[in-house]
Amino acid sequence: MIQNRYHVEFDTDLESFEFISKGPMGPISKVVRYSETNLKGVFNLGFGDKNKETGKVDDLRITNNGDSQKVLATVAATLYTFTNNYADAIIVATGSTQARTRLCRMGITTNLEAIEKDFIFYGLTNTEWEPFRKGIKYEAFCVRKKA
Amino acid sequence: MKPKKTTKKVLKGFTKNASLDKYADQPLFKDKVIKVNQILKTVGLPKT
Repeated sequence: MIQNRYHVEFDTDLESFEFISKGPMGPISKVVRYSETNLKGVFNLGFGDKNKETGKVDDLRITNNGDSQKVLATVAATLYTFTNNYADAIIVATGSTQARTRLCRMGITTNLEAIEKDFIFYGLTNTEWEPFRKGIKYEAFCVRKKA
Repeated sequence: MKPKKTTKKVLKGFTKNASLDKYADQPLFKDKVIKVNQILKTVGLPKT
């Protein structure tokens, strides 16, 4: 199981999650949202910062709060809680920028040993999904819980 | 229609906050949902 993560709050449907990143830039609220796509049972994993003033969630902002590994571990933990409640769900994630996609890949890679016991990961290369491999540049990621 | 929901099970360190229900009515990460829909349309899902 994933350790060293932030405390997380969730909504009634267990589709929205929020936690606070703590670091040199101060406390920053992070929001994770699993939104169903046009395909039944397939969800987009969205992740971004909540603006303190406006309350709007932005997935392009770069935080630099020095806790990216802990943040990614926390996002991975939401995956457990979400799929504990939507067991058949398939989750797809894409980065909003190349840097964010890279960060996403790093998060999977770092936590791979812990989470691959419970999940199957795929990466999208050009026009094809393949089982996730470390060090490969993927455009998107797909994950489902093992039966 | 959403997948079948089982009994709510959450990890340690997770607590419910009903004020987060507001996000269900917001078009969060709309661009990414569009992007994923496009991938699903053109590439589909991984073969298992």
